[in-house]
Amino acid sequence: MPGEILKVTVDKFTFRVPKGLSYSDAGVWVKLEGNRARLGLSDFAQQSSGDVAFANIKPDGTDLERGDAFAEVETVKVNVSVPSPVNGTIVEVNLSLAEAPELINQDPYGKGWLAVVELSDWENDRAYLLDAETYLALVKGQAAEEMKR
Amino acid sequence: MKEKVLIVPCSGIGKSYGTVAREGAYVVTEDLCPEKTMLVPVALLVLGEDEARSTLAGTEAITIDGCQLACAAKVVANSGGTVAHRVQVLDVFRSHRNLKPSGIAELDANGHKLARVLAEEVQELVNGMTGEVSHA
Repeated sequence: MPGEILKVTVDKFTFRVPKGLSYSDAGVWVKLEGNRARLGLSDFAQQSSGDVAFANIKPDGTDLERGDAFAEVETVKVNVSVPSPVNGTIVEVNLSLAEAPELINQDPYGKGWLAVVELSDWENDRAYLLDAETYLALVKGQAAEEMKR
Repeated sequence: MKEKVLIVPCSGIGKSYGTVAREGAYVVTEDLCPEKTMLVPVALLVLGEDEARSTLAGTEAITIDGCQLACAAKVVANSGGTVAHRVQVLDVFRSHRNLKPSGIAELDANGHKLARVLAEEVQELVNGMTGEVSHA
């Protein structure tokens, strides 16, 4: 993952937030690639969810409205329905995750990406997304809340 | 027969999958192949306990880890031991999705079944290391 990476440490956990990506408040990162968006789980989302056992992503051709679950991630702790941060159609799925779902934990911003979506309403979608600095602040607050539990 | 194979599970405290690792190690060393294996507590290695470290020296170990931090494998390596096989509970679970464990201090029925399955896989590894054919 090129570019500057912001970091926040809460207790013994350090969470990385690369600049240059956008983020949903649900912990999904968005990398704009022309009229497409590559999606994945943020470092905070993967760390707080735990080791991934299975990742099932909806297939190519699936139409998504923002908020629709486009992936189900089963970890040792929880089953997570991952909401799409954008409107569009899935055009590519990370097939590597079928054999190696641990890539989501090991390389959340790289080889652990989930899907690529052909965007249908980016101008509207982007209004709901956070930049790295804003998301970092959100992570810091959410992580602090987690620590209190 | 060669010397005993060392079985080193993670401490198994605080997480279901760690507990499965520890319970699986008990099944291997106490039930399935007690004559061929010896349990080494990872906590003693962390503390640098002399007997545990000397047991490790020159003997191959199978580590069993409950999460990807792989503490058992790392501790054995850092203690001068030789890891012959690294077993991850999560990998065993991926092949037995119906056995999702829960419970920490006390595993549920799925957890005990998963520990048994894991132990049988470790038994196969032990038999391979000791040159014996498994009839399991």
